[in-house]
Amino acid sequence: MYGWIWRHLPGNAWVKALLSLMLAMIVVYVLFQYVFPWAEPLLPFNDVTVDNQ
Amino acid sequence: MAATTDTEQQEHAGEDGPPESGAPRRRRGPGRIVAQAVSVFGELLITAGLVMGLFVVYSLWWTNVVADRAADKQADKVRDDWAQDRVGPDGPGVLDTKAGIGFLHVPAMGSGDILVEKGTSMKILNDGVAGYYTDPVKATLPTSDKKGNFSLAAHRDGHGAKFHNIDRIEKGDPIVFETKDTWYVYKTYAVLPETSKYNVDVLDAVPEESGKKKAGHYITLTTCTPVYTSRYRYVVWGELVRTEKVDGDRTPPAELR
Repeated sequence: MYGWIWRHLPGNAWVKALLSLMLAMIVVYVLFQYVFPWAEPLLPFNDVTVDNQ
Repeated sequence: MAATTDTEQQEHAGEDGPPESGAPRRRRGPGRIVAQAVSVFGELLITAGLVMGLFVVYSLWWTNVVADRAADKQADKVRDDWAQDRVGPDGPGVLDTKAGIGFLHVPAMGSGDILVEKGTSMKILNDGVAGYYTDPVKATLPTSDKKGNFSLAAHRDGHGAKFHNIDRIEKGDPIVFETKDTWYVYKTYAVLPETSKYNVDVLDAVPEESGKKKAGHYITLTTCTPVYTSRYRYVVWGELVRTEKVDGDRTPPAELR
C-alpha cells in the first residue's frame, strides 16, 4: 500500500519524500479537523455529566 | 511462512532500490497475491495503530488547545460586557444565558477562573467551560437567591480539562463563584469520589447523599472519574458561606488571595 504510493509519486527520492510528508500532513489535518471530532462522542471516554439515559 | 518471506522481499524491492516494476525476483501466480494481501494487511494494522495514537494526542492535547482558545474568547466577552455595564446576568431585564453567567474559582484546583455557561451538552462543555445543569435536574442559580442546588459539570480530560484536579478539593476548601456584582463564597462540605453515572440524585435541590436534609444554598461539581475514562462520576458539594459585593477594583474575597 505505502510502497504502491511511493512508486506512484513523481520525481526523485527527495521530491517523493516531500510529497509523502505533505500527504501525511493532509491526512493528520483531516483526522484532527473532521474525523476525530465526529468519532469522539461515539466513544465512551469523556462523558462527564450524570444523567438517566 | 513462504508468504512472509515474499512480503519482505517485495517491500525491500519497493523501498530501497529504484522503482523496479516487474523485478525479476518477484514471484508470479497465487503466491504473489497472498504475499501482497499479507503486506497490505500489515500496513493497515500499522496505520490503525498510528491513527489510535493520533487520537490520543487529539484527545489529550489538541482539544485543550481548541477549548482554551474558545473559553478565553468567551470569557473576554463576558468581562467586556461587565466592564461596559451591558445587561449581564445580574442586570435588569432578560437573563443573557448565551454568554457565560460568571466565573468559578477553585483555588484547590489551581489558579485561574472557569467560565460558567448554561447547559451541559458536549457542545457547550467542549468550549472549555463549566456548564450548569438544565437536565435532568435543573440547577438553581445563586443569582436567583432561591434555595437550591447550583449543579455544574466540566471535563476532566481534554477540552480544557477544567475539572482535572477535582480530586485535590478537600473538605473545607473554598469554591467561589463570581458574577458581575457578587462573589458567592461556598465551602466544600462533602466529596463523593465515585458514583454511578446514573446517580442523578446528587443534583437534587437537597442532595441527601451529601448528608444534608434541609434546603439551603448548595453547589455541586460533577465530572468523570477515574481520569481518562468515563466509568464513574466524581462529585463535590459545597454550601454557601457568605456573599460579598464586588467593589470597583473587583477585589477578590479573602479565600482567593
